[in-house]
Amino acid sequence: MVHVVAEDKIGKRTLLMGNEAIARGAIEAGIQLAAAYPGTPSSEVMETLATVADDLGFYAEWSTNEMVAFEVASGAAITGVRSLVCMKNAGLNVVMDMFMTLVYSGVRGGYLIVVADDPGAHYSSNEQDTRFAAMYANILCFEPANQQEAKDMARIAFELSEKFELPVFLRSVTRLSHASGDVTYGDMRKEKRKAIFDRHWKLPYRWNVYGPPSTVSKHVWLFSRAPLVKEFVESTEFNTLEIVKGARVGIIASGIGSSYAREAVRGLGLDGRVSFLKIGTPYPLPEKKIGQLLNSVEKVIMIEEGDPVVEMQVRALSNSLAPGRKISGKMAIDQILNPYDELTPNVVAAAIAKFLDIKFEEISKSRLEAKAEIRKLVAPRSSTLCAGCPHLGTYWALKVALRRSGGKVWIVNGDIGCYEQGGYGIFATKLAPSFVDHSVKYDIDTPYDTLDTNYIMGGGIGLSQGEFHAKYEDGAIVAVAGDSTFFHACMPAIVNAVYNKAKVTFLVLDNAWTAMTGHQPNPTTGMTAMGQQSPIFRIEEIVKSLGAGLVKVADPYNLKEAREAIEEGIKYPGVSVIITRRLCTLQYLREARKSKTKIVPYAVNKEKCTGCKICIQLGCPAIDFEDGSKKAGIDPLTCTACDMCAQLCPFRAISPGGSQ
Amino acid sequence: MNKTKDLNLIVAGVGGQGSVLASHIVADAAVRAGLKARVGETFGAAMRGGAVSSHIRIGEDVQGPLVAEDKLDILIALEPLEGLRIGVKYLSPTGIAILNTKAVPSIDVNIGKATYPEISTIVSSLERLCKKVVAIDATGLSIKSGSAKTLNMLMLGMAAATELLPFPIEILKETIRERVPKGTEDLNMKAFDVGYKAAKELL
Repeated sequence: MVHVVAEDKIGKRTLLMGNEAIARGAIEAGIQLAAAYPGTPSSEVMETLATVADDLGFYAEWSTNEMVAFEVASGAAITGVRSLVCMKNAGLNVVMDMFMTLVYSGVRGGYLIVVADDPGAHYSSNEQDTRFAAMYANILCFEPANQQEAKDMARIAFELSEKFELPVFLRSVTRLSHASGDVTYGDMRKEKRKAIFDRHWKLPYRWNVYGPPSTVSKHVWLFSRAPLVKEFVESTEFNTLEIVKGARVGIIASGIGSSYAREAVRGLGLDGRVSFLKIGTPYPLPEKKIGQLLNSVEKVIMIEEGDPVVEMQVRALSNSLAPGRKISGKMAIDQILNPYDELTPNVVAAAIAKFLDIKFEEISKSRLEAKAEIRKLVAPRSSTLCAGCPHLGTYWALKVALRRSGGKVWIVNGDIGCYEQGGYGIFATKLAPSFVDHSVKYDIDTPYDTLDTNYIMGGGIGLSQGEFHAKYEDGAIVAVAGDSTFFHACMPAIVNAVYNKAKVTFLVLDNAWTAMTGHQPNPTTGMTAMGQQSPIFRIEEIVKSLGAGLVKVADPYNLKEAREAIEEGIKYPGVSVIITRRLCTLQYLREARKSKTKIVPYAVNKEKCTGCKICIQLGCPAIDFEDGSKKAGIDPLTCTACDMCAQLCPFRAISPGGSQ
Repeated sequence: MNKTKDLNLIVAGVGGQGSVLASHIVADAAVRAGLKARVGETFGAAMRGGAVSSHIRIGEDVQGPLVAEDKLDILIALEPLEGLRIGVKYLSPTGIAILNTKAVPSIDVNIGKATYPEISTIVSSLERLCKKVVAIDATGLSIKSGSAKTLNMLMLGMAAATELLPFPIEILKETIRERVPKGTEDLNMKAFDVGYKAAKELL
């Protein structure tokens, strides 16, 4: 059966997730190549494209990182074929070098750069607004308000890109990418272009930014494209102006912000009483429409998701087009919205009400009190690793190894992946207890407070070297990363560590999948995005050739083996790499289901259990503690029979099936 | 059936219970019925076991994917604690809460760092927040009807019994049949009917 996004049915109306809608737009435009590195909330764009690539005859890949993906897609675009690259907010930081330079040559085939931001940092280490990057690179930036626009913008982007000879940027956000809405399909362009290479296409040495006459001449060319882009943004229906005669207040709202703003206008009974400019191209802005709005009102409210990107430009335009307007948004002067966290319907409605000094439907005092009372009852549900996750074993082994290493204050540098939850903490913990507050025997606490630092992909292995060269001596210095992260950004840092003689221990938690973003394949998986078999890269062989002095592979399900390997690594006077390898539990369960392998869950022998809670400290969500009986228990539905808790029970009270 | 007003629903539960599929089925049915719909998902970082809630908005005037506070018409809680978490923020005083009474304790509760509220307290708290609470051990019912995996469809049946969904029940059933995993259609339809009947008796 054809995937719904690949159906060649003009006028079909269906429910699509924002990321699927973007993929559909690219399909309608007839893309021939797509490349991406997974990152929430962007991953489904590529997942969708990879699913239908074979059927529709285009190429799709999961690249080893965003920079490679960007270069792969750029390579296709300069040979004249339509291509797409997709990443999350942080991924764009990885591609900035190529991004800022590609615009000097431009492209020949339509090129769409899709970036999904994450206001509210639901799945990200920051809330950065990548619209700034489009402005920085001087290219058109789209910002859809809903799924239909996401599809339509993605589709037209390729045509525009070819007209401007520049990439087009589409900025999504979590509430667009990970939300669904009704989308009506257009036709599908079937033409496949033959890749061509013309080194002097329209400009001498077109694809070599150093080529004659000069780099600056290519920068001049970039500016020469601006009028074409401006002409488009003034005429497109993605920017719509509704002037209400006599209205003193105007709202300028961009992307998903315009959806919230429209609902707030209706909810506050302001329909027909305020002028409204909906922005779909936050860069460049439709200056004429902004001028018309500014000149028809006295005050302007700015609503946009992320940083005040549109607001900054509107303020600047206002100085020359319509001085003296009161403009309120996220910037310090007359601020009505916080410049952090995401917008919600309530936040937007309250901000508009505050600005206009009108009554926002308020909740009664007694109801607020009832709510406050009830909120106290709501127990937290902290995020955890899965039952039987191999990372639980790695973290257990690491914590024991560190305790036995003799250091006072060790540093564990984290990284990005499922294992980052080793630094989330258990949220109900008011304050992480220090180890000395616990009994000597069982003071490991949970794996969820293992990581001391965490910033970005590949960051931990680099940080650890700085800590070493700063002469940190109070304890071991360790970095952890997953398999996909290893290929993404860790290899140059390992070469650096070896060559510059750092003494650090690097743990690679290899579960053979890019698991956290929804199980994409990577070079340890043995499969490409389009489902072809490919040779598996062995991380131990790579790090040996990179010069790591001690390289060990251990099974995290064997807690003793893993602990001993890590201890050896910590003792080693140079760069040591310990690979804890075990297939992601969810993949194991999938395989077991397919092969009809029966999993016999473990159980606790209640007579042997003393209620010491050491198994609880493994952090496995399948293990619970019964308050009444003061005994541990195992949920037979989620237990994966990994054996880790059985290994650490000092009273041998845990066994398969609990038959003892 | 009420076609004039926008309708806000939230399906709340724990990762793995199928709240995302349930919400997509409701929105998909609405789109098939010619209505405009939005779904907004919020899920934690964990692949399984984390709190998951999915906002569904149906109606000609809906724009954004999120339900505003105190504007939730129907809460479908696949798990009681998650129902309370969402209910206290979003339930409208005129709303209705459909609650599965079978708890899935969080790790915070399991390791003794938090207390799971009594189910009766959850029910009475929700009763303070909205017009009507329909509380059933839906997990137990789903097991009895054939499989715990049909919990989400059973609770959609309960939601349909409110007769607040702005499209014919046949469209919802047809959407369920098409969107549940192949081979489980009959099991899921049976669960839907069981849920519908059980809720009708309490409404």
